[in-house]
Amino acid sequence: MPTTDVDTLRRAARLAGFEFSTSDLEPLRPAIERALEALERLERLPVGAIEPVTQYRVV
Amino acid sequence: MTTLPWMSVADLARVIATKEVSPVEVVRAHLDRIAALDGGLHAFITVTAEAALDAARVAEDELAAGCARGPLHGVPFALKDLFDTAGVRTTGGSKILADRVPTVDSTVARRLRAGGAILLGKLNMHEFAYGPEGLNVHYGTSRNPWDATDTRIAGGSSSGSGVAVAAGLAPFALGSDTGGSIRIPASLCGITGLKPTYGRVSRAGVLPLAWSMDHVGPMTRTATDAALVLRALAGYDAGDPTTSVLPVVDYTVALTGDVKGLRVGLLGAAFLEAAAPEVRMAVEAAAKALEGLGARVDEVRLEHVTDVAPAAMAIVGAEALAYHAEWVRTRPGDYQPDVLERLRIGAFVSGVHYVRGQQARALFRAAVDEALAKRDVLLAPATPIAAPRVGETEVMLGDGKTDVRSSLIRLTRPFNVSGHPACAVSCGFTAGGLPIGLQIVGRPFDEATVLRTADAYQRITDWHTRRPPLAP
Repeated sequence: MPTTDVDTLRRAARLAGFEFSTSDLEPLRPAIERALEALERLERLPVGAIEPVTQYRVV
Repeated sequence: MTTLPWMSVADLARVIATKEVSPVEVVRAHLDRIAALDGGLHAFITVTAEAALDAARVAEDELAAGCARGPLHGVPFALKDLFDTAGVRTTGGSKILADRVPTVDSTVARRLRAGGAILLGKLNMHEFAYGPEGLNVHYGTSRNPWDATDTRIAGGSSSGSGVAVAAGLAPFALGSDTGGSIRIPASLCGITGLKPTYGRVSRAGVLPLAWSMDHVGPMTRTATDAALVLRALAGYDAGDPTTSVLPVVDYTVALTGDVKGLRVGLLGAAFLEAAAPEVRMAVEAAAKALEGLGARVDEVRLEHVTDVAPAAMAIVGAEALAYHAEWVRTRPGDYQPDVLERLRIGAFVSGVHYVRGQQARALFRAAVDEALAKRDVLLAPATPIAAPRVGETEVMLGDGKTDVRSSLIRLTRPFNVSGHPACAVSCGFTAGGLPIGLQIVGRPFDEATVLRTADAYQRITDWHTRRPPLAP
């Protein structure tokens, strides 16, 4: 799992366009860790070249 | 005659159409009940009493002139405060939108009003629909009318919708469902809640939580009523590019009571096995009851169901934050804390995670389709537990301890990911008097079979006719 120290999380959030302070992130860390663990599972799925579900405009 | 607030939509529509009762009487009876009970229940954010009475007088005049506008003419309803209503504030259950007054109705509000139905007001909800508990710090958390100690949640996010219908404050309401937000309050409040197929009902003018997971549907006390309301709502809408051009049928025609030969798959692993013992027993009894009517029940296991949670987290996390980004940056203190936390976590979902989530979605959808290729409907509990207390954080499920939030959405969210229609109906009560919900899942756009199954079950049981102690 990627490192979840507050500085790393702050930089990751900044890349996504969000400025979170230490006081924002510190209480959030356990929940972020659980989320990142869950998201890691997606990387291990046998999805291969499966077409992702997307929306499209109905004609 | 049953008192007006406890009459079904079908019965109200009939007595109004035959002029036994005036729409004004019906609306007044509901407004009186709201005034008497809602102070303790917190089902409503805005009650539009004067406008409702005005609309009722117009409906009465139209009937006198022989001009009923549709099957729901004169029948009152209420809307989750996520649905735009022209001239009536639409807050999303939030402080951020507390003063927002749309100028245009959402499509579903417009269709109901055009059909002569009468808006009573806007219903409470989990802030911005981002929670299955129905908590709301700004407008007060809706109370579950089944709990005489007055300490249990109604479920969310369509909490006010669940409470209003269960407590006889409105004969029907609309909710939205992104992870279970129609079916969870339906289960916890003992009513019928239908999440239609994705694309069956327009989301135009409905504040989004996650565009590709949001569904709009009716919340009623019977399957017949859900069928009537769905017919008024469903159909292609140019304002929502995801709506289907498939024709809308008269769902009430399907309600024959006949389920002989119906092929029913009882979802065991990950569904029934997760449920608390009383819930499991009630759902198994419901399956037996359908067998008694001639249905053929077997146990089925869905592949890829364990992939649903991370897929949904990626999809909802990214889509919800995309919508809320500017407010999260500029007004974080105006959110309730649990919603802000969920939104901020979305910042850690990468683009690749999001696409993987949509790929996992394709896998799971195919798995549900495969299960339904040999069956007409699938059965499961709607929620693995009955209503927890406000503030309760952990619960014991059939397969171990977990947090309340995850437990509430666990059995409903898979069918937001897959988009299949799913209906929650009451199938019993705990020893403590709390409702237990059954979930019926069908093939895409086969709401008729889902509702036929629900209706057949309701014809031989009376769970759906019981009235809550806080609102007799």
